Amino acid sequence: MRGKKVQRIQGRKLLAGAAIAGLCLLGLSTVPRLWVDADAGRVVSVEEVESVDACIRPPRAESASDNLFSAFETPTVYAQDANTEDLERPAVRELVDTAPIFSSVGVDNVRNEVYLQDSNRWGIRVYGRLENTKPGAPPSEPRRIISGDNSQIQFNSCVWVDPGSGDIYSVENDTGDSIVVFPNDATGDPKPKRHLHVTHRAQSMMLNPDTGELFLSVQYPPQVAVYSSTADGEEKPIRLIEGPKTNLSDVHGLALDTKNNLLYLNSWGNVSDYKVAGSGRFEAPSIEVFHTDANGDVAPLRIIQGPKTQLDWPGAMSIDPANGDLYVANDVGQSILVFHSNDQGDVAPFRVIKGAKTHLSYPTGVFVDAKNKEVWATSLGNSSATVYPLTANGNVAPLRIIRGAEENKQSLKFGKTQALAYDTKRDQILVPN
Amino acid sequence: MHPQIAVFPRLGGDNTPPVRTLEGQKTLISRTMHGFAYDEPRDEIVVMSALAQAVLVFRGGASGEEPPIRVIQGPRTQIWGTPYGANSQVSVDPVNNEIYVPAIPNRILVFDLTANGDVPPKRIITGISGAVAIDPIHNVLIVNGQRGLNIYDRTVSGEATPKGVITGPRAAIRRLDTIQVTTKGWIIAGGGDVTKGTGFVGAWSINDNGDVAPRWKIAAQKITGYDPYSVAINPAHKEMLIAAAGGNGRVRPTRGIMNAVVTFSWPEVF
Repeated sequence: MRGKKVQRIQGRKLLAGAAIAGLCLLGLSTVPRLWVDADAGRVVSVEEVESVDACIRPPRAESASDNLFSAFETPTVYAQDANTEDLERPAVRELVDTAPIFSSVGVDNVRNEVYLQDSNRWGIRVYGRLENTKPGAPPSEPRRIISGDNSQIQFNSCVWVDPGSGDIYSVENDTGDSIVVFPNDATGDPKPKRHLHVTHRAQSMMLNPDTGELFLSVQYPPQVAVYSSTADGEEKPIRLIEGPKTNLSDVHGLALDTKNNLLYLNSWGNVSDYKVAGSGRFEAPSIEVFHTDANGDVAPLRIIQGPKTQLDWPGAMSIDPANGDLYVANDVGQSILVFHSNDQGDVAPFRVIKGAKTHLSYPTGVFVDAKNKEVWATSLGNSSATVYPLTANGNVAPLRIIRGAEENKQSLKFGKTQALAYDTKRDQILVPN
Repeated sequence: MHPQIAVFPRLGGDNTPPVRTLEGQKTLISRTMHGFAYDEPRDEIVVMSALAQAVLVFRGGASGEEPPIRVIQGPRTQIWGTPYGANSQVSVDPVNNEIYVPAIPNRILVFDLTANGDVPPKRIITGISGAVAIDPIHNVLIVNGQRGLNIYDRTVSGEATPKGVITGPRAAIRRLDTIQVTTKGWIIAGGGDVTKGTGFVGAWSINDNGDVAPRWKIAAQKITGYDPYSVAINPAHKEMLIAAAGGNGRVRPTRGIMNAVVTFSWPEVF
């Protein structure tokens, strides 16, 4: 039976091939069309060929037997009666970034240490606050690294150090769905002292030492979850800020002005109600300001939004407690934006740290060290953390750099390589994060 | 965090920088881009903006902060995802001009490839959801459902009855975000237990049915430490690529690097 079938297919191939060749030769016009490799049935190029649909692409057949191009199929594959063949061949290539990719920064100005979240190797790297990688020198080595399966650090998007206890908090943005907490002297692969299960896509957090609350931003469905700062396990939030009135969407950065009881959040404008089909829409990025006691579906006190703001995928945010100035890591804007505490509407930042001298490259982390009058940033694009005077403005060189990779290294900025496609035209690999 | 689309040369390896990246507010892309397609005939990139219930179509050579050339979004689209997974997957049939969008409740929306704006799907396949691969040569549609590979006539609509279902302990299929089918009719999908280090990529026939072991198997996780969330194919060079990232209880990759694209030679399936 199999032999007769193959003969039939081969005969159909000859017949169909002759028919298509004839049709192509007879065509007259030169409309840009798609050409199909008859042997493979694969569209291989875009060329100027004659306008004869039959030689352009397989007709839209209702079933395989009606499809002219089914004649070109390779003798149909059957695997049911075959044994599995294990192909023990090595990979021909691995595309990876071997360096840490720094997504977030926390500063402990009591113990004089800096904590950098490495989202490529899933770890927290701890450096001395005054560490400074000299030009041309190899990357700085951390004092210690917290990483490994026991630590449960994964897809780590935010690091926060409690200035009182020194406890280290790490937010897990994806499969972990948790906040893990370590004692200040943690190193290696320790089990966390606390493991709080949180909503999927948690992004940024901060403690309010005055109220004993932990504020957590969640990208989608957008919300702020407020927990007890000692929450553990399956403990639920004390309250949630969520709903259409909040204007929150694809929430990233979060900052607390504890002096003025204000909560700042930023939104990327990717909006949809997960309960309603087809409710998606796009809005401009924004910063929402709430009272720290906000609860439920409440409107923000103020919104900063519009083209003057320069917001472009805003990341972490931090407040200068002395004056309420708001610092924003402005990822694709390649800048740190500084807004006044009472800014509202379409307003330009009053200071912008940006330019070649700054060494900023896709900054997603920012932290105001009020005690030392410095502002820190982490750059996804060059595996580094940079620190500036708190009043820096414009194209200014950093006071110090902690470099986690060789000088001038361009990071691959990988965060989660969960999908890919192959561009057959350019022979390139497309990799979304 | 930073939902870029980065583009690398085929021969890229350790620390090869991207030749271009698509990123920023104007692109409208968001995180959770788990399904992803390149449409060679039109030279277009098709991806979901998962948190905004939208399909985005870009120029194939798009770079920087370039907006999409088409956006499918709005009430008539019926695009609907879960709070956890959102609308993460999309597939393209460039031969028959169709876009497939898995959605809830347990359905696949099919749009015209040139659709733009708030347009209804041209047909809806119900009773199934998951990554879709289309074989325009043999006119079948494969859906990587929760329990295996479901094979349908390509033009299926409404409540669908599969022509074949590959599932069971011998098949050991697990769910990927993107699967592929070669022109010879080999379905490239994932299997094994990634928590035990046995994650693999297998090739099944479009004619398989029942609890069928793959014809070929590449034990990617054992060989490289990485196992796929998604697979892509490069027919011209007879290669198969996997997108790997940690998480979900996976065994930690031996190099300790949690993100990788790994390429295998696999001439048998092309």
